[in-house]
Amino acid sequence: MNNSILVVVLASAVTYGTPLLYSALGELVAERSGVLNLGVEGMMLVGAVMGFWAVQTIPGPGPLVLIIAVCVAAIAAGLMALIHAFLVITLRANQIVSGLALTIFAGAGGLSSYLGNDLNLADAPAKHAFGAFFPHSMQTLPVVGPIFFEQNALVFVAWLFVGGVAFYLARTRPGLNLKAVGEAPAAADAMGINVTRTRYIHTVVGGAFAGIGGATFSLAITPQWVDGLTQGAGWIAIALVIFAFWRPALCLVGAYFFGAFAGLPFTLQARGVTVAPELFQALPYVMTILVLVTVSAAGARRRLGAPGALGTPYVREER
Amino acid sequence: MPAVSLHGITKRFPGVVANDGVDFEAAEGEVHALLGENGAGKSTLSNILTGLYRPDEGSVELYGERVEFDSPRDALNAGICMVHQHFRLVPPFTVAENVILGDTRGESGRFLVHPRHIERRVAELGERYRIAVDPRARVWQLSLGEQQRVEILKALYREAKILILDEPTAVLTPQEAESLFITLRAMAAEGRTVIFISHKLHEVTAVADRVTVLRGGKTVATVDTAESTTQSLASLMVGREVDVATRVPREITIGGPVLELAGVGATGDRGAEALHDVTMTVRSGEIVAVAGVAGNGQRELAEAITGMRPTTAGTITVDGKPLKGGDAREAIHAGVAHVPEDRLHTGVAPSLSIASNTVLKSYRGAQIAHGPLLRLSAIKERALSLITNYDVRTSGPNVPARQLSGGNLQKVVLGREFSGEPRVLIAASPTRGLDVSAIETVHRYLREGATGGMGIVLISEDLDEILALADRIVVMYEGRIVGELDAETATKDALGLLMAGVTEPVA
Amino acid sequence: MIRVERRLEQPRWLSLAVPIGSLIVAFVVMTGVLLVTGHDPATTFRRLFDSAFLGSAELNATFVSATPLLFTGLCAAVAFRMQLFNIGGEGQLYVGAIFAAAAALLVSGVPGVVAIPLMIAAGALGGALFALIPAVLRAFLKTNEIIVSLMLNYVAALVLNYLIFDSLSYWRDTSSPEAKVFPQGKPLPDAASWPLSHIGGLELPFGLLLGIVIAGVVWVLYSRTRFGFEVQVIGDSPRAATYAGMRTRRKILAVMALSGAIAGIGGASQDGDVRHLLDARGLSAAGYGYAGIVVAALARYNPFAVVLVAFLLGGIQNAGYTLQGADFPSGLVGVMQGLILFCALGGELLIRHRIRFERRRPAESVA
Repeated sequence: MNNSILVVVLASAVTYGTPLLYSALGELVAERSGVLNLGVEGMMLVGAVMGFWAVQTIPGPGPLVLIIAVCVAAIAAGLMALIHAFLVITLRANQIVSGLALTIFAGAGGLSSYLGNDLNLADAPAKHAFGAFFPHSMQTLPVVGPIFFEQNALVFVAWLFVGGVAFYLARTRPGLNLKAVGEAPAAADAMGINVTRTRYIHTVVGGAFAGIGGATFSLAITPQWVDGLTQGAGWIAIALVIFAFWRPALCLVGAYFFGAFAGLPFTLQARGVTVAPELFQALPYVMTILVLVTVSAAGARRRLGAPGALGTPYVREER
Repeated sequence: MPAVSLHGITKRFPGVVANDGVDFEAAEGEVHALLGENGAGKSTLSNILTGLYRPDEGSVELYGERVEFDSPRDALNAGICMVHQHFRLVPPFTVAENVILGDTRGESGRFLVHPRHIERRVAELGERYRIAVDPRARVWQLSLGEQQRVEILKALYREAKILILDEPTAVLTPQEAESLFITLRAMAAEGRTVIFISHKLHEVTAVADRVTVLRGGKTVATVDTAESTTQSLASLMVGREVDVATRVPREITIGGPVLELAGVGATGDRGAEALHDVTMTVRSGEIVAVAGVAGNGQRELAEAITGMRPTTAGTITVDGKPLKGGDAREAIHAGVAHVPEDRLHTGVAPSLSIASNTVLKSYRGAQIAHGPLLRLSAIKERALSLITNYDVRTSGPNVPARQLSGGNLQKVVLGREFSGEPRVLIAASPTRGLDVSAIETVHRYLREGATGGMGIVLISEDLDEILALADRIVVMYEGRIVGELDAETATKDALGLLMAGVTEPVA
Repeated sequence: MIRVERRLEQPRWLSLAVPIGSLIVAFVVMTGVLLVTGHDPATTFRRLFDSAFLGSAELNATFVSATPLLFTGLCAAVAFRMQLFNIGGEGQLYVGAIFAAAAALLVSGVPGVVAIPLMIAAGALGGALFALIPAVLRAFLKTNEIIVSLMLNYVAALVLNYLIFDSLSYWRDTSSPEAKVFPQGKPLPDAASWPLSHIGGLELPFGLLLGIVIAGVVWVLYSRTRFGFEVQVIGDSPRAATYAGMRTRRKILAVMALSGAIAGIGGASQDGDVRHLLDARGLSAAGYGYAGIVVAALARYNPFAVVLVAFLLGGIQNAGYTLQGADFPSGLVGVMQGLILFCALGGELLIRHRIRFERRRPAESVA
C-alpha cells in the first residue's frame, strides 16, 4: 500500500514542497511589506551553501549542529536580503532589477558557487543531515507512514512557520502594521508606523526564510552541496506567492501541490512510465500564469490580496 | 498659555522656501483657521506640526513646553492628529482596523488585536459626535465623506488634544460641511484645539474663532473672525484688494449646439455604474458648469466626453457628428479639447520637456511629423511660441514639465489645447491648487475661449468659481444630472440641496 | 542625518560619471571580497583583464561573448524605456534559437545569402511571438508582464530541454548511435554559419555587427520618430498617453514584439555565429537574458551605451570561462556582475537625487 503511486507522490510532494514553502513564506512576508524580491533563488543558494558549510565545519552533536546550520543559513540569506533592502528601500532602486541583480550576484555562477568552491564543499557527503523525525515503527504505518512519519523535522517546523505567519498577519499589531505598510505606506507613516524599519525587517526576515528553504535542500533533501542545487526552486517560490494570493495557508497547499510536480517525474520514471519530465516541471509556471490571468480578468476585485504598494518605494519628504 | 505655538518656522524644499519664519499660536478650546492661498505654506506648516517634516529653523511648543518631533509618532504621542486632504487610510482595512492603526495606548496597544472591542468603541464615538460609520465596513467601500469621518474618529479614539484638518470641505456638500462644523465646534467646546486649514473665506468665518493668514510662506496676521469680513480676510490673504469671485460681465453670443449628450452611461473604476442617463447640450459660446460633490460622476463625465472612458449607453455628438466613444483620438479629431483634473500626470507627461508636451496631441500632424519621423525644429518653434503667447515662466522649452509651477503648467496645457482650435473644451477643476493671479489668468482664458465661439464645460467643486464663470449650471448627484439652474439666479443654497441629491422643492 | 532630495536638474556629466564610478566601486568591493577569501586581487584582476581584452584572440572571444549580451541588453532597454518590464529576454532568446535552427535545417542546401536572412527572420519571429504572450495578457487583461515573462523563461527552457533531451524532435541529432546516447542538436548546414568580418586581425561575428546596427535603428526609432515619442510618453505617464489619444495597447504589443524579436535574433546569432546547432544546455547555462538586464540597467537603457556595456561584461564573462579552473575563483563572474549592477542601481539615485548630510538637530533659531 505504501508503494501505491498516490502515496509515493504525496510523500514526495511534501518533501519537495517544503523548501518551496519556506521560501514562499519568506517572499510573502517581504511582499506584504511592499518589497518585491526576485532574488529568492540566490538567497536560497547562499543559505544552502552556508548551511552545508556549517554542518561540515562545526563540531558537536548532530541535532545541535543541524539547528546551528539552519540558523547560519538563515543569517547568510538574510544578509543577502539586506543588500536588496538597502538598494530598494533606502536608495529606491528598481525592485525588479535589484532582485535580479541579487540572483546573479548570489546565485549559481555567483557568490554561492564562489563560496562552495572556496570552502571546498562540493562532492563531499554531509556529516549530519536531517533524517526522519519519528521512530521507524511509525514510518511503516500504512499511508501516513511515508507521507507523514518518514518526513524530517524541517517539514514539521515549516507548519509552525505557516501557523505563525498566518497568526502574525491576522491577529497581531506588528502584523497589522506590516499590512498597512504594504497597502498604504503614507497612511501607515501618518499613523506613526516606521515604514522604512518595517520594510527592512520583513525583507530581511523573508530572506532568512529563503535561506532555510535553501538549507532544506543541502541538509535534508540531497543532502550535499552541488553548484546550483536549488534548480530554480526560488522562482517557483515567487510564483507560489501569487498562486496563494499572498495567504500563508494557501502557500502550504500550493507548496505541496507544486512539490508534487517536482517529484512526479522521478516517481513515474522509477515505475517505467516515460513521460517527459518537462511537462510536469512546467506546470507550476503555467499554472501561475493562468492564476494571474484569471485574477486580472476578474477585473474589479483585481488585486485579490496583492499588496497595494508592492514594488513601489515610499518617499515621505518629496514634492 | 497657548496649546500650540510655533516660532520662526522655516522650511526649505529644493527650489522653494515653503515656510519663511512663520509664527503661529492656537489656544485651547478654539477653532483656529489657517488661511492662505494654495502654495502659501499651510500644508507644510501642518506637516511640521504633525512631525512629517522637520523644520529647518524654528521651534514648536505645546502647552508651553518645547517639543521636537522626529516622526509622526512623536506628534501623535503628544496628542496631535491630522486629517489630510488625501486621506491617510488603508483601503482594504475595516474602519475599526484603521482607527487603531499605530495606536499604542491601552486596549489597542497590546500585541494581540481584538477587533470586536474596538468596533464597539468606534460605534460609540461615532454616535456621540454625530459622525457614525459602520466599524466593520471596509474603507474602500465608503464614500469620501464617510472616509473623512473615519479620519476624525481616529483622532477622537486617540483622544487627540489638537486636531488639524486640511481643506476638509472639498469632499462635502455645503450641508455636510455645516454638519462637520457642528462636530468641530463640539470638539472645541470640550477643550480641544481644532486647526482648520482652508482657502475658502466663508468657511473660515463660519467656523473659526480666530484666523491666522499666511501669504508666500510668511505669517501676515492673526485676527478674530468676529472682527473681520470676507473682504478684509481676502485682502490679507492675497495682499491687495480683490473682488471675491464676482461675475465678470461678458458679451455672450450663443450659437448652435456643439456638444450634445443623450442618455450617456458609463462605469467607474470599480466597475459600478458611474454615469446614468446623462443628457445635456452645450452650445457654441456658452460656459456650462457641472457642479457636484467630488466623486459623483464628474470625472467619469469628463472622461466619457473626451473619449478616455468608454460609454455603456447613449450617444455623444460633437458639432453634429456622433462619436463612437471610448477613443480619445476620435474626440480630439472631432474638436474636443480637455483640461484634465490631474494636470501633472494626465495633462502632461511630467518628465518630458515642455516642448514635447506642447505637441502631445499634435505630434501626428503634418506640421510636426514628416512621415514617421518627427521634425524636432518644428516642435521647438511651436513650444517657443506657446511660451511667449501664454507667458509661461520658464528657462526654456527643454525644461521638464514637472518643474513648472501649477499656474505655468496650466498655461502650457491651456495653450496646447487652444492651439488645436477646438469646438468644445472640457475643463475639469482647472484652477485647483493655483494661486489667485493664476486663477484669474485661467478664468480669463476660459472667458475668451467662450467669446471666441467655443462651447465650454466647466467641471468644478468650487461654487464660487462656478457662480463667477458659468452661464448655466447643471448639478450632478450619484452619476445623474439632478437639476439645471441659470447662473444669474442660482444661489449656493439651492445648489447645495441639489448637490446633496434633494430634488423636491423645499418649503 | 542623511537626506535625499530630488534634483531639480540632472547635470549631464553625472550620467557618465555615475556608471564609471559604479564600476570603480564594484571593483573596490570585489577587491575586498578577494582579500577576505585569500585570493590576490592584483593577480586575479590582471588575469581577468588579460584574458578578456589583451590580445586579438582574447578580444575575438570577448566579441563572441558580448554578442548575445548586446541583443538581450537591447531587448531589455527597448521595453524598459516604456516601463514595460520584459524580463523574458532569456526565454525569447531560446525560442528565437529554436526557430532559427528550424529555418536553417529546413532550407539546407540553399546558399548563405538565403539561409542567413531566413534565420534572422525566423529568430525574430520566434522571439516576437513568444514576447507577445505577456504582451497580449498585459494589453488586454492588465496581467503583470514581469511575472508572466519571468515564468515563461522557465517554460521556454523546459521546451528547449525537451526538444533535445527528452524527445526525438526535428532539432535533435539522431544520425548516429552515440548521438542517441548523448543527446545533442542536429548540426546546421554550412550555409547557416554566419560570416566573420576580419578587421585588422580582429574577427567580428556577423551577429555583433547586426546588433550594433539594431542599436542604431533603435536609437533613431526612439529619439526621432512618432513611435518613439509615443513610447516616451507612455513610459512617463500612461494616463497622459491615453489623454493624448495614443493607442497604448498597440504600443505595448509593438514594443514587446520588438523587444522579443531582438532577443530572438540573439538566439539566431547563437545558432549561426557560435554553436551551429540547437545547443540546449549551452544556451540555458549561459543566462544571457538576465545578464542582458544587467547590461541595459548599467547602460541606463541607452542603446549605444548598451553596445559598450555588453562589450565590457562580455569580456568579464569570456575571461570567466577561459580561466575556469582550480586556481581561479569560480563564481567570480556572477559576483562581479552582481556588484557592478548593485553599484549602478545605487548610483542611479545620485543622478536623480541629491544627497545632503545634516546634523541630527536642525539649526536652532534664536528664541
